[in-house]
Amino acid sequence: MAASITYTEQELISLLKQKSKQGFDYLYENYSAALFSIISRIISDEQTAQDVLQEVFVKVWKGIDKYDSAKGRLYTWMLNLARNTSIDKLRSKGEIMKGKIQNDEATVYDNSNLKTEQEINTIGLRDTVAGLEPQYQVIVELAYFKGFTLDEISKTIDVPLGTVKTRMRKAITMLRTHYKN
Amino acid sequence: MNVKEYIESGILEAYVLGTLSENECAEVAANVAQYPELAAEVIAIEDSLLHLAKEDAKAPPSFMKDKIWDALSDEEEEVVVEQPVQASKQVPLPQEPAKPSWQRAAIWAAVLVSVVTNFMLLSQRNESREQRDVLAARVDSIAAQQQQLVATLNTYKKEKDMLADPGMQTIIMRNEADAAPAGMVYWSKEKGDAYLALHKLPMPPKGKQYQLWVIQDGNPVDMGVIDNDMVQKEGMMMKIAANIKSGQAFAISIEKEGGNPTPTQVYMVGAI
Repeated sequence: MAASITYTEQELISLLKQKSKQGFDYLYENYSAALFSIISRIISDEQTAQDVLQEVFVKVWKGIDKYDSAKGRLYTWMLNLARNTSIDKLRSKGEIMKGKIQNDEATVYDNSNLKTEQEINTIGLRDTVAGLEPQYQVIVELAYFKGFTLDEISKTIDVPLGTVKTRMRKAITMLRTHYKN
Repeated sequence: MNVKEYIESGILEAYVLGTLSENECAEVAANVAQYPELAAEVIAIEDSLLHLAKEDAKAPPSFMKDKIWDALSDEEEEVVVEQPVQASKQVPLPQEPAKPSWQRAAIWAAVLVSVVTNFMLLSQRNESREQRDVLAARVDSIAAQQQQLVATLNTYKKEKDMLADPGMQTIIMRNEADAAPAGMVYWSKEKGDAYLALHKLPMPPKGKQYQLWVIQDGNPVDMGVIDNDMVQKEGMMMKIAANIKSGQAFAISIEKEGGNPTPTQVYMVGAI
């Protein structure tokens, strides 16, 4: 089985370019769980998440010729593909936009910000980084898993742009420290 | 650029998290390409997110693997089957949400060719229609000309027959003023047929018309007014409607429009 073999990124890429079954097996064994996890974070509906996973694999399969290793690693490329495809799917269903509009309106009412954070806390990084404070979690959640722009995050949680960026920095640094241990 | 400050600002995190606008993204990417420290930092940030994804890894249901492989194999088959010759077979149904860009290009090309062809055929058809209309108009005008020719020919035939008739007399009418020949009457006494031919007759004054007479036993008998139209058609022969069995002279006078019961101003006379 593919599990016993370890390919380098380069080897995997050339296998994928040849459209080999071996390449697919390896890709699926090693990456499907991570991809599915990120998709499931963004899309709660199991069936839709499965559809998106398939879509992402098709995109990787067909787009591998266009993949440029100079611009980033394969894993990053695939994760971004999964993330963007999921967010696009949500957008096409109007869920995220609805959320954004509501949040824009909500900036008028102070208490609704709290509500947003609370909601996110329950679905966010709770299992992974218990130590990450809500104010950091919410930013990673909105940015990475909801596809909000910096500006939108700033408006949603009513925090200046610069502060959003430094909180991002802090959140990621905490994650990095966590994984080093 | 102060690399350390740049890193501390959190812009790289914002970049990796995908929250920057297109312009900002391009700017950061350019900086990352230029400074190895930034590139290393970006990789470290990415790694933390990769860890996050891996740690939280959630295996999809086991049937997904075969399902996805089938989908990928289908994609491959489509590529193999999709020869240009068969492109038309593939066109009608939008099946998969995502098709290879070249396949889309092939479809668009086919659609484009079809549209262009239709347009060309349509304009050709319009052109043929126009040509057909032009030809039809020409045929119509030729037919009209032919009718005219036939009419003229018939007239000439009659004139020829008439002239060939040995019983036909020719009466030359002369202008009363200068005795110059101004008109002729061909008359067949036996048949009673008579024809009038005019030569360079001036148009009558306004409100006047020429009127033809035959003098029978010293009395002028009205043969009707002469159409001004007829006066213009120099040399044309006009059959005189009445049957004339006797007479001593033909005359034309100028009368008021519609004619008079008796001649008032004689213009030309020709004795038989």
